[in-house]
Amino acid sequence: MIRILLSLFLVLAAAAPALAQTRVVATTTSMAVLARTVGGDAVSVTTLAPPDRDVHYLQAKPSMMRRLRRADLLLAVGAELEVGWLPAALRNAANPGIRPGHQGYFEAAAQVELTGTYQRADRAMGDVHPAGDPHVNLDPVRMARVAEALAARLAKLEPAAAEAFRRRAEGFGKQVQKRLPGWQERVADSPGVVAFHKDINYLMDRLGVPIRGYLEPKPGIAPSASHLKRLIADLKARPAGVIIRHPYHPRDPVRKVADATGWRTAALPLDPELGAGAEAYFALIDAYVAAIAGDR
Amino acid sequence: MQRIAFVLGAALGLIAGGPAWGQSAPHLGAASGGASSAEVTSGNRFNPDLSVILEGIAYADDRSGDADALVAAAAGINQAHGHDAGGHAGEEPGFSLKPTELAVSASVDPYFDAFVHAVITEAGGMDLEEAYFTTRALPAGLQVKAGRFLSGIGYHNDKHRHQWQFVEQTLPYQQLLGAHGLRDTGVQLTWTPATPFYTRFGVEALQGDQEVVGRFDGESALDGVVPASVVDRYGDPKAGPRLFTAFAKAAPNLGYSHELQAGVFGVYASDHQELHTDPDDHILTGQYWLAGTDWVYAYDAPHQYGRGDLKISAEYLYAVKDLEVAYNPAQPPTVGDDRTFREDGFYVQGRYGFAANWRAGARYGMVGLTNQKAVGATGSAEHYGRSHRVSANLTWTPTHFTRIQAQWSHSRIATGSGRETADQYFLRYILSMGKHGAHDF
Repeated sequence: MIRILLSLFLVLAAAAPALAQTRVVATTTSMAVLARTVGGDAVSVTTLAPPDRDVHYLQAKPSMMRRLRRADLLLAVGAELEVGWLPAALRNAANPGIRPGHQGYFEAAAQVELTGTYQRADRAMGDVHPAGDPHVNLDPVRMARVAEALAARLAKLEPAAAEAFRRRAEGFGKQVQKRLPGWQERVADSPGVVAFHKDINYLMDRLGVPIRGYLEPKPGIAPSASHLKRLIADLKARPAGVIIRHPYHPRDPVRKVADATGWRTAALPLDPELGAGAEAYFALIDAYVAAIAGDR
Repeated sequence: MQRIAFVLGAALGLIAGGPAWGQSAPHLGAASGGASSAEVTSGNRFNPDLSVILEGIAYADDRSGDADALVAAAAGINQAHGHDAGGHAGEEPGFSLKPTELAVSASVDPYFDAFVHAVITEAGGMDLEEAYFTTRALPAGLQVKAGRFLSGIGYHNDKHRHQWQFVEQTLPYQQLLGAHGLRDTGVQLTWTPATPFYTRFGVEALQGDQEVVGRFDGESALDGVVPASVVDRYGDPKAGPRLFTAFAKAAPNLGYSHELQAGVFGVYASDHQELHTDPDDHILTGQYWLAGTDWVYAYDAPHQYGRGDLKISAEYLYAVKDLEVAYNPAQPPTVGDDRTFREDGFYVQGRYGFAANWRAGARYGMVGLTNQKAVGATGSAEHYGRSHRVSANLTWTPTHFTRIQAQWSHSRIATGSGRETADQYFLRYILSMGKHGAHDF
């Protein structure tokens, strides 16, 4: 028995150098995109939340703690988006290096300017995030800024590859700059969108597309009949745009509003698929742009 | 009253101090040019976090209000033989306020986090549920917790009232660990190794001041019942720690939708003492030990507001009291005789999100698959009956912070005079204010 354990240990020890990549744990797939794009071969990336789950409603789980236990860098969206589960998962992961305030903890929302900050946060306003709207992931320009900051952080963990990190982050930023005018042009003079939750605002601001309303009466509060009635009345008075929901959002209230107003609907994920890289991320933005542009 | 005023005053002081503390959080980014370690917070900015949890119930039963007393008196190794049934106040028909929970937590410094969980009862009394610190920076996956805390054994044990899925404590916990579960003062060491799948191991050394497992009737109970010379001999327990636990948990990798955690645990109280008054005054001393296993399965559905989510948990507990007669003036020859008590029990509970913000729950708990007292010298055994309880509830959770719940419980309880039943009806609210730390799995 001891011999088996010993040999197992030796095998693991021998395998260790081969795995000497910086282990990055990303809370969402968008964050994982940045880690892969900037980190390249120097990092191995795992994700805590798949894109078909609402990150607001997750629960701290042993599988998260296992990933966090071995992580060198935790890449979170931040601004309290993950407040319902990440602190508990971190507390039980027994990995001091990735706690907030340490080099191994990186928050995307802290690298960019946030909108929707509340001087006075009151839960009567719904599930608001006092620090500002944390959903920075769909804004490619903010993501490019996060990529630069991430490159600087990865450089600290792995100084030898600093130049490569910086170059890749820059490359991502250039891609964004190259694509942005095309996106903006396609959706210019769009009549607007209706969102389910207040989580696509940064992208709409970037694209110059007005948001005409939300399915949720207040952030985190399920759609009510009276709110939908008001929304329908409001939308009828406008030229028809598109209602965007994420696949995990309930379909029925969206359909109800669409049927009553003639607005189109689109189901688009908030984050790209598991294992996505920069191309898949841009494809997701393309999909939003296409949905807003419709068949005009 | 003064104490409450003090606590509330302190709490208000902490709220007022919150933002100022937040501002002094390290903003490493300023020094390192963009590569910021600063955070817009993932839960640690308001330093300390403070929350207040309100819980109240409306209650009715079919036994004129003594249903809880019946359940507490279920025949078993901690109930039989004429000592009181734990002395826990039962539910009164009508409205009642459950203890209001006050939770404060913060990082103390780079090395320690601290948690205080106090409750204020309806009558105005206070109780310290938990007050402990944990280490932040130990290497190799080690973590120390010390102070007064709910033991890490099992699954249900370290959950506070507001996390309980049902109004009442699980039947096996209530009978074999006590109404609050295992809670004591001491130290815990856990180890979370960097294994390919999740594992966690822990050991605890606790003082032993616990009402069931660490029961030690001691001087206050003996005084006036037995002669002064005996009070001296049996009045005080040995020096602590007298209560020890060990637990292990493991969770295989099942992907993002499924989560399974299994655990085993053991509890050992080295110094257990009971004063019995039936038929004659006598004292039993010895050890209490308990072993158990806990299982949790959770399914996370790709829908919002909890729709489709499923969670099932089950635990089995087996307890043994290995005692001997230490004192019995009515029957001196029995002194030194073994009295071995064994009892086990389990519960299975589940909840399912059948609609957005709505979930239904069910629980079955029972004790007494084994339920007996063996008398050493003669080898004869006295068997107690089995007791069961079935509960069902319906919960509405409009937000993270509110829970409104209706529950029905049906109990079939073995008593000294046969089997009796009780039906109980609860309407319960749980509201949480302030900044409450995220819950563990």
